Amino acid sequence: MRLYEYEAKKVFGATGLTIPTQYGVIQSPDDLDALDLTFPVMMKSMVLIGGRGKAGGIKKAKDLAEAKKITADMLKLVIKDYPVETLLVEELADEAGACYVGITTHPASFNVIMMVSAKGGVDIEGVALETPEAILKIEIPGNELELPDNIANEFTDFLVKGLGNDAVKPAILDAVKKLYATYQEYDCKTAEINPLIITTDNQAVAADAKVVIDDNAIYRQGGLFELLGLKESRHDVSELTSDEQRARDAGFLYVDLLPEDFEGDPDKLYVGLVPGGAGYGIFSIDETANVGDRFFDGKVVPVNFMDSGGGPPVEGVAEMFHVLMDKKLVDLIVTSRFGGISSCDIFIRGTVKALRDRHEKGQRMLPIVGRMVGTDLPSARAYLEKALVETPEALKNLDIVIGNQKIMADVIKDGIAKGFKVKAQGAAVAAK
Amino acid sequence: MQRVPAHKGMLCHLIKHARPDLVKTIEETQEVETAVVGLGRQGTRHAGLMREFGTTVTAGVAAGRSGQRVHETIPVYDSMTECIGEHPNIAAVSIWRHFTSARDATLEVIEAGVPLVMLITEGIPLRDVRDILVAARKHKTVLFGGNTPGCIFPPEGIKVGMLPDVFYPEEVEHGKAGPHGVTIISRSGAILYHMSDALASVGIAQNAVLGIGGDGANGSTFQDIAPVAMDYENTDLVVIAGEIGGSKEELLAEDILANPDKYPKPMVALISGANAPEGKTMGHAGAIVAPGQVRGTYKSKKEALESAGVTVVNSQYDLIDAVQDKLAGKTYFDVGRYYEKMRTTWEEPPKKAGWGTLITKIAPNEILLSGYPIQDVCARGNLLETAHLLLKLELPSKKVLAEHEKSAIAASKIPAPPITRFEGEDISATLAKSFLMDETLQGMTESGKDGPVNKTIYSLGRFARYLAHILGNEDAMDAPYDKEDFTSIIYRAVTGEKKVDSKRAKIIETIIATCVDHGATPPSAQSTLLAATVRPSYQMGIAAGVGAITDVHGGAGAEAATFFRKCIEVAESQNKELADATVIVLNEYMKAGKRVGGLGHRIHTTDPRRTPLWKLIDDSGLGGKCVAISKLVTDIFERVRGMSLPINVDGVIGAIVADLGLHPDLAKALFVYGRVVGLSAHFFEEVASQPQMRRINFGDAVYKGKEERSLPT
Repeated sequence: MRLYEYEAKKVFGATGLTIPTQYGVIQSPDDLDALDLTFPVMMKSMVLIGGRGKAGGIKKAKDLAEAKKITADMLKLVIKDYPVETLLVEELADEAGACYVGITTHPASFNVIMMVSAKGGVDIEGVALETPEAILKIEIPGNELELPDNIANEFTDFLVKGLGNDAVKPAILDAVKKLYATYQEYDCKTAEINPLIITTDNQAVAADAKVVIDDNAIYRQGGLFELLGLKESRHDVSELTSDEQRARDAGFLYVDLLPEDFEGDPDKLYVGLVPGGAGYGIFSIDETANVGDRFFDGKVVPVNFMDSGGGPPVEGVAEMFHVLMDKKLVDLIVTSRFGGISSCDIFIRGTVKALRDRHEKGQRMLPIVGRMVGTDLPSARAYLEKALVETPEALKNLDIVIGNQKIMADVIKDGIAKGFKVKAQGAAVAAK
Repeated sequence: MQRVPAHKGMLCHLIKHARPDLVKTIEETQEVETAVVGLGRQGTRHAGLMREFGTTVTAGVAAGRSGQRVHETIPVYDSMTECIGEHPNIAAVSIWRHFTSARDATLEVIEAGVPLVMLITEGIPLRDVRDILVAARKHKTVLFGGNTPGCIFPPEGIKVGMLPDVFYPEEVEHGKAGPHGVTIISRSGAILYHMSDALASVGIAQNAVLGIGGDGANGSTFQDIAPVAMDYENTDLVVIAGEIGGSKEELLAEDILANPDKYPKPMVALISGANAPEGKTMGHAGAIVAPGQVRGTYKSKKEALESAGVTVVNSQYDLIDAVQDKLAGKTYFDVGRYYEKMRTTWEEPPKKAGWGTLITKIAPNEILLSGYPIQDVCARGNLLETAHLLLKLELPSKKVLAEHEKSAIAASKIPAPPITRFEGEDISATLAKSFLMDETLQGMTESGKDGPVNKTIYSLGRFARYLAHILGNEDAMDAPYDKEDFTSIIYRAVTGEKKVDSKRAKIIETIIATCVDHGATPPSAQSTLLAATVRPSYQMGIAAGVGAITDVHGGAGAEAATFFRKCIEVAESQNKELADATVIVLNEYMKAGKRVGGLGHRIHTTDPRRTPLWKLIDDSGLGGKCVAISKLVTDIFERVRGMSLPINVDGVIGAIVADLGLHPDLAKALFVYGRVVGLSAHFFEEVASQPQMRRINFGDAVYKGKEERSLPT
């Protein structure tokens, strides 16, 4: 979960790093009237994406009139798809120098890696490319909760030397150690200060702050949520579609691959996917598109990603089908259950339940094709066979291959052929 | 299918890298011992599935559950440290703990020196993962996961984790597995199945399918495992299954380019996510770590791997083509036979639900006490020895038996609780009351290895005291006697005779020992088992079962004794032959609508317990007319009623009690006394091996204990 800059700074403030005074977080020019401002001030757009400076999302204001104008302008900005809805108004620090301090997890070794540079306040990726010697990177393989002294000293000496100012040594040492401690204490994936401003009185002030919290650790970060006044974790990516929200409420992961208002092409087949597991969730999108390209002239379009998670209950499985059947665009549902930790039995019960409920209520029904293999297959097969006898009408368009007598790509291929047939029949009926 | 020996398989090859010392053990025992850490719903379930597949699941670990068992026979330990102390050869462990507690559990497993660890848990906090990795590096652990589905080794028939049984090994000849094939290494579980499936459909076997884990940060990487797989002589090709996100595939490509010698065999990579929408962008800090490189996209991964000479595919069809091409059309088994085997899986009828008991096997005309025929055990006529057998499932040593006897005798000396038997009260109810009121049992431990057997033995001493108290025999019991063994204590308590007749004493103890158990289905056992599901005190659990012994269940002996006495009365008063008198009494019973106790049995036609009792009484020369009638009554009953209702053990006991001149009620008392042993065994088994509050379907109980065996002489 990414934190807004003002939130990240609150975290830094709580662990003893020096931050500029925050005057307030505003949502309209009029909000400025209520603030006790000492000009000049910094005005910063609060969006969860980098590149705000270049996009005009960070400005200084020398008086109230200018601040109001900047506010009005900034609230019209959309930075990389993120509309600006709030601004942070804060103290402008008197800058004598700037450096960079960042911590993340190394993508190969998964060790904590900390990086510092005396060239702060600029595009640090550019520095890394052009003058890599201006950056000191050290991995901390022991995962200690406090930064080991020798490493802290090495970073400090490097920065002090780069800044050419011995007097800042205590402030830098303190900042480096505290940022590392914050990273560990708050379960950060990334914690970064750029720039760490050196003031004229040799203090180190975090003029910007970037923090990403490890989503897996949010359960134990109650203190952080309390500090920030948050009730629940925030979704990182821009706004959810209505189906994505519906799936989230039901407890499974779902992503629309097409815009919400997408108009379907009547010649194409739109395939909804209920795969098993996140990995096959991604791969089934490829398989559907690949089979479409190879055998159906590229006229097959997968519409969603879905991850059922480890072991969804019957109701959860049913809801996965409901979401797709309620979606006008979808023509066919392809499903696969390769039961490892999840159970074929629960999967088929959920599938049958969804179809029966919809049939009873007269809701839209779509053909479902798929396959199930693995854990609990015998009881799943017995249940399906019984269900087909009990409610043949509700299940007439349910084709589930039992066992791996056919590979999934063949199941998808045959299913798509059927999907086209059913779609053509539907179109013929509609034409009459 | 005949499997590849454990020490020649890929699993052993992986273990060799971390713990070469274990290879010799594996070769000697032909077993790779594994353990399951975390016995929640999934861990418990998959412990069973692993074992069914063929894995040696030596033990389970769950805090606070030491001394229990899962799946009836797998012992559970509080900690990995305790577990490894008992089973030092454990070579692979799967961890099923919740992500909030996975760190500590995994650290413990790693520090215990287990070479191969499958961390199934998904979504472990990054900081915890780093702690795990620090420990794994230090101990040279081969760590798969977090979020791994585990690994499966089809040639050896072993899996550690949750992969379903859908993989087919090389078949060197019909019904004999071979070690060759391709090795699949995957980030995702579900993709791994689909790749394996695709390859099997054209006769390409996998000698190992390894899930390295789907979480962002995890133990072994592609470049850790692929070279080890290629180093295994029977691997012909390695398939990598990667996906968008992270940089695991790019790092593999870099390693291949930097160290080509580590990758001497062909490799095909299936990367999924070609059609996925643009993922989340990586943070600045990540970009600085690897400046100027785009990572995590399908394109970046495909290009990196292709530049390292790896064929990259994105569909099952292309995977099949690429692997077939690299193997020059080689196949490893007959596809028809593969589908035939798979068909047996998908056409298999659903498994009947069942739960296991290791105590007593009940089959028509057969009762085995932990494998020993009951008639053989009873012939030894030793109640304490029989009790030890049911509680520990093995016979005690002489030394232990002597300790038991001491404990039971000591327990019998302590005064009984001040319980009175109400007018007309069933003696079982009075015994249950005594047991519940007995302060001496309070605070006596029932946990630990010997807690259950020790408490049961002690209780048997106490029940002797209750019987003496209830029957008014305490004076006889406490009278000074030169030979202080438990047999004579029982005798004096039950008969009230101060002088012990050793023949009669043996008969009485044998009767008691004969009644110890009849499996999980008699109502008394059901009552105790139901009570045990909510983990009451031992006393409460046993009292529930004892209280369920009434005239309806367990009262037949007394009824039979009364019947036999009546027959003798008629024979004497009317001067009839015994057989004729029996016919008369039977007819009277019929007219009055009365049942004859001790005839017929719902399972046995020839109750295995009756013959040794008859032999014992005949040999002692103490048998009389009642025993004589007991041998005739089955035939007579058939003549009178036209039905075959063979005499059962209760009938024989009734006859013996009557001939010994004891009160008919005593038949019931002896039955209750003996059954305390079986109830204790069932109580402790339930507590140790089943989840709390389970719903018990008594008809589904299955004996899973020792096969039939002979008593040591």
